[in-house]
Amino acid sequence: MKEIMDQRDGAGVRIGIDVGGTFTDFVLSDSRDGRLAYFKEPSTPDDPSRALLTGLRSLLAREGLQPGDVGALMHGTTIGLNAIIQRRGARIGLIVTRGYRDILEIARCRMPSSFDFHATKEEPLVPRARILEIGARMTPRGEVLEAPAEDEIARVAVELRALDLDAAALVTINGYANPTVEADLAHRLGAAAGLPITSAAAIWPEIREYERTLVACLNAYIQPLMQRYFDGLVAGLAEQGVTAPLLVTASNGGSLSVGSALARPVDTILSGPAAGVMAAVRLAKAAGSGGIITFDMGGTSSDIAIATGETPELATRTDIGGLPLVLPVIDVSAIGAGGGSIVWVDPHGMLKVGPQSAGAAPGPVSYRRGGTEPAVTDCYLTLGYVDPAGFLGGRMPLDADAAHAALAEVGARIALTGSDRDVAARTADGALAVTTASMASALYKTLAERGLDPRDFALMPYGGAGPTHANRLAEEADIPHVIVPPAAGTFCALGAAGADLRRDFVRSLRLPLTPETGALVRETFAALEADGSAWLDAENEPGRPRRFERGADLRYKGQAYELRVALTDLSDAAVTEAFHREHERIYGFRDSRAEVEIGTVRLAAIGPADPLSAPELATAAPAEPKGHRQIFHRGAWVAAAVHDRHALGAGARVPGPAVVEQEDTTTVVLPGWSAHVDAAGNLHLQRQAQ
Amino acid sequence: MKLDPVTLEILNNKVAAITEEMCVTLQRTGRTLYVKETADFACALAGLDGRFFAYPRSIGVSGFVGLDCLPSIEAVVATGGPLEPGDVILTNDPYRSEGLATHLPDLHMIEPYFHEGKIVAYGWCFVHCSDVGGRVPSSISPVNTEIFQEGLRIPPVKLLRRGEMSPEVRLFLDANSRTPEANMGDIRAMLAALAAGRRRVAQVVAQHGAEVLLDAETDLIAFAEAKARAVLSTIPEGTYNFSDYLDDDAATPLPVRLALALTIKGGAVMLDFTGSDPQVATAMNIPSRGRAHAWLTLRVLALVYTLDRTVPLNAGLLGPVSVVAPLGSIVNPEEPAATGVRHAAAVRVNDVLNGAFGLALPGVMPAASSGTVIPVVVAEPNAAGGRNVQVVEPMIGGTGARQGHDGVDGRDSGISNLANNPVETVEAELGVEILSYSLRPDSGGAGQWRGGCGMELTFRILTDGSNVLGRGMERLMFRPWGRNGGRPGAPGALILNRGGTDERWLGKIDMLSVRAGDTVTFLTPGAGGWGDPFLRDPMAVLQDVENGFVTVAAAQSDYGVAIKDGQVDKTATAALRAGQRGADHDIDFGPERAAWDSAFPPELMTRLNGRLLDDPLDLRQRRRREILERALAQLPAGFPRIAPAEAQARAAQDVLEAALGT
Repeated sequence: MKEIMDQRDGAGVRIGIDVGGTFTDFVLSDSRDGRLAYFKEPSTPDDPSRALLTGLRSLLAREGLQPGDVGALMHGTTIGLNAIIQRRGARIGLIVTRGYRDILEIARCRMPSSFDFHATKEEPLVPRARILEIGARMTPRGEVLEAPAEDEIARVAVELRALDLDAAALVTINGYANPTVEADLAHRLGAAAGLPITSAAAIWPEIREYERTLVACLNAYIQPLMQRYFDGLVAGLAEQGVTAPLLVTASNGGSLSVGSALARPVDTILSGPAAGVMAAVRLAKAAGSGGIITFDMGGTSSDIAIATGETPELATRTDIGGLPLVLPVIDVSAIGAGGGSIVWVDPHGMLKVGPQSAGAAPGPVSYRRGGTEPAVTDCYLTLGYVDPAGFLGGRMPLDADAAHAALAEVGARIALTGSDRDVAARTADGALAVTTASMASALYKTLAERGLDPRDFALMPYGGAGPTHANRLAEEADIPHVIVPPAAGTFCALGAAGADLRRDFVRSLRLPLTPETGALVRETFAALEADGSAWLDAENEPGRPRRFERGADLRYKGQAYELRVALTDLSDAAVTEAFHREHERIYGFRDSRAEVEIGTVRLAAIGPADPLSAPELATAAPAEPKGHRQIFHRGAWVAAAVHDRHALGAGARVPGPAVVEQEDTTTVVLPGWSAHVDAAGNLHLQRQAQ
Repeated sequence: MKLDPVTLEILNNKVAAITEEMCVTLQRTGRTLYVKETADFACALAGLDGRFFAYPRSIGVSGFVGLDCLPSIEAVVATGGPLEPGDVILTNDPYRSEGLATHLPDLHMIEPYFHEGKIVAYGWCFVHCSDVGGRVPSSISPVNTEIFQEGLRIPPVKLLRRGEMSPEVRLFLDANSRTPEANMGDIRAMLAALAAGRRRVAQVVAQHGAEVLLDAETDLIAFAEAKARAVLSTIPEGTYNFSDYLDDDAATPLPVRLALALTIKGGAVMLDFTGSDPQVATAMNIPSRGRAHAWLTLRVLALVYTLDRTVPLNAGLLGPVSVVAPLGSIVNPEEPAATGVRHAAAVRVNDVLNGAFGLALPGVMPAASSGTVIPVVVAEPNAAGGRNVQVVEPMIGGTGARQGHDGVDGRDSGISNLANNPVETVEAELGVEILSYSLRPDSGGAGQWRGGCGMELTFRILTDGSNVLGRGMERLMFRPWGRNGGRPGAPGALILNRGGTDERWLGKIDMLSVRAGDTVTFLTPGAGGWGDPFLRDPMAVLQDVENGFVTVAAAQSDYGVAIKDGQVDKTATAALRAGQRGADHDIDFGPERAAWDSAFPPELMTRLNGRLLDDPLDLRQRRRREILERALAQLPAGFPRIAPAEAQARAAQDVLEAALGT
């Protein structure tokens, strides 16, 4: 224990791991010598832990470290998410209040499309035949309205056993108002049926029965899979002699112990993208940047997230394979194409990009894995952005001729004429213009939802194609500044390595804010804080630094919607004022006479992680290009300097047009823009002064 | 096309995204229920001809792609001179805007976007606001008889002149609403949306030039029209007749007929509504002004979009569509007909389009959806001496089955795609206890593919002196029809104290007075089935039984599938199914409609309605009522639930023939 504590205090090595579809990425931070090391291992999708264990062994060997040097492993996984999307989770049942057997069938009553009458609704996680009713419900004030007698519990238990389930979930109407009652019933039913049963009210006591039911069902649905996976992983690590604590990154940007993650696997579903955004936020803060827009461009899509201050925005309504998730998660929005998105021509003659993607297999034409339709990556190649010999550090040579030919053929279909090379380049440039315009449009919409202006932000690209595409997007969207982080290709692993411990707690009240209820609000926050403290104690060692973030959903009486407001001072006057102020900020006025109502109160319990190593670059001589190549820009070929990222020291300046290459990605600096390197190794792209 | 394929695609994405950005701006800054919860608003960009070249795909009201801003613009120019930068037009008047607005609570705004002194596009938006005065709070009542009862009419006027709000217009607005502050909040949100559109249009002009934008406006409409024609030209040519009924017109028990002759020729579609009923003396009239109006053409749009999901949403989609909507009929009423609940008739317009297209495309079009949207409302006395009024749930049914696919249970996006209310938020705010909110077994029409189940909502009233409102209840009489041998869905019902000694089955209600302890049960209709139910895979029937969508008894009687101990009894099933085949009529409207048609044959009704249109407006409705009541007097009590004898039906027909003077 003592040894582990020392390591958590920064004496050991922390390793962040992100399991992607193609590669498993590692970032190692050693506080003893300030080292920060990156590593990539091809993924093994059939059993993700194999790549993880192999890669870890190789990384430690490369860095000259022993298994015992590892102080902590931080790991994100998409096992849960994939199981949900592919509907391959456990065989679960659901027990609901009598009269609500169709809670999953009815959902929120909406169809995915208003126009497409062939569209159908999402497949429910639990078929109706495995949903049982029980006479149990509360009043909205948390009084027991109906409780099942022993014989009814016994009857339900018998039916549960007959269904041959792996796990089940329980939801009672108004259960959120007094979660211990439902938790107790889940316990009794579970004992009688010999089954793990997730109580919806216990796991997430927020008003809205359908959404809460989904939280509980998703949890039960992925729990057995996660259990098997982590059991295997922990055993595999032990075999290697790694006994350091394993932490699992969470969708809210934090992390949990394996024990917590197995009790609440639903908290980890979207951990991969969340970790990347957290890395970006930490890095932007260190670089002294204000607001950032993260831009993660991978093989099939591009995602953005927005951070106006030190914390990225959280969403409490996310779509998971057609199902709404109300847990707070880092708010990531898809804005368009990825490197594998296909360039094609509509039967009526318009040039289109995506949404179909060639993915990693068959991949773009230039991968030579059987792809016949050109993809965005083929455009980069054709325009000279990417060196066919330098892709993935030269491990995967690309076929530039095949990309040219495929794009030239598309060009002919939109009636472009000229030399093949020229037609291919103009087609590629057009396809990227189409892609970029639609990305910028989606980005504007995302900003408009929040009332924000792109000119107040820096764009932080990562993922394989992010830095290659970022300058085009910044130019189109009028974003003045791009910050390319040093290890843009292993960014999610970096985020995992630096993740705080974090868990979110809620309780729905639905009360007018008065002196009497104000006391109840403070009591509720105190109770949530006690829950949060107890959780942190169990995750960590008691006494380590911690902090709590508080917020509430408030509204004027009679309003149909609530505003989420961050709270520091919990006095009645301060809570009311915080709401008035937020209402004024968004709607331009306050209604001082109206009664204010408090809906759901929220608390995040956070155990800050130690800062990661931040090696500083040496100041170097002026940047010397390693060569030049032609890139296609606005209809003409221009000579761009080609730089090796690792040769650029702090303070180095690279005027566009230029290409900066590193093992896992390529940064394009367009004419009219200029890049410079800061002490932490970030590449800053800005418009050149005229 | 004037633009190259790359530029056109770039502009295609950009202008659609601008409309969506306008919508999210409106939704973020708006604060009334209609904006926040039900998304009863929309934004778009119109070209110089006033038609939308860009429309949002995924936010706001989807069906208004076909609206036309030009008459409102011309009306303002005619009275107030040319538009200037910063001017914003406001209107809500269906007649003076020529169908841009279709009922008074919808406030529509138009702003010209200028570049170097010339208009390059118009921004448009609308919001269903809380109240514009009139006879009842919220301004909408199905039993209003004239538009004058429905609130303040705002002919197209300049709300803003060069960026300044007209104080006079504002005075009129404030003085004529029960909720002036909420309305002004909605207006501010709309102005914010129009400003967002203006900024982005200016950015597009800066990036691409005004000429490119103007070319894109016409190119995108031409592009959508070409795509729509390509889709529509795959439909077998011909004329297809279909008619359907609303149970009643909300004021009298007489059904309301909607009739359509759909002609498809060379990729063009003509919708002829001749034979539909004269305009009604209630608020169900659709003020189309005889145009290919959004409310009459929604299903065509949906058909094109369903068959080609890449088509841009803009006015070009309606390029191949023409409409004949006789003046003075329910689909083109004369002023001053009330129009507040025009969506109630639009539900059935959707059904007749669906039905007629289905005759041409039996493999594509589904059977009838449940065809009802009922916002179930409870009003209860509160401690302050007033009343809490709250929607319990917006009740809908399911979607119709189609070849190869069962209908969807408990969902229907046909007319509106509203979200329901969480039971827990309702119970937190209203003194009701919701005992059951579920699907209704055996309600989906039987078929080789089963229609979607309707729904059940049962709640207990906890406060004496409460009222329950169930507007929009439909298909209690005439069922959602089945297709190609499929059966109709079960009709809807309303039951007080179901299962108690004082159980009462009620018909349609406008308002029901209830006491503490009463339970109220709404049953919505199921949707129609597709294909002979005796051809349904017995394993699919078994699965429905396991899931509780179909009972064992109905499996036997409706599907000919015997289920014993949770298994299909193959021998018994073979015996049940031997020699049995469903009636092979194309459309099964159910026994009530069959009874109705025996006394009021479609061909005769079409002639009668044509004849009635010759009468002046004030006479028309009275004459229709007299004729139908005379005919009904020949028919048995309980008709059409009770089928008439042949002689009775003949007598009723004779009354109609006599009225026609033949």
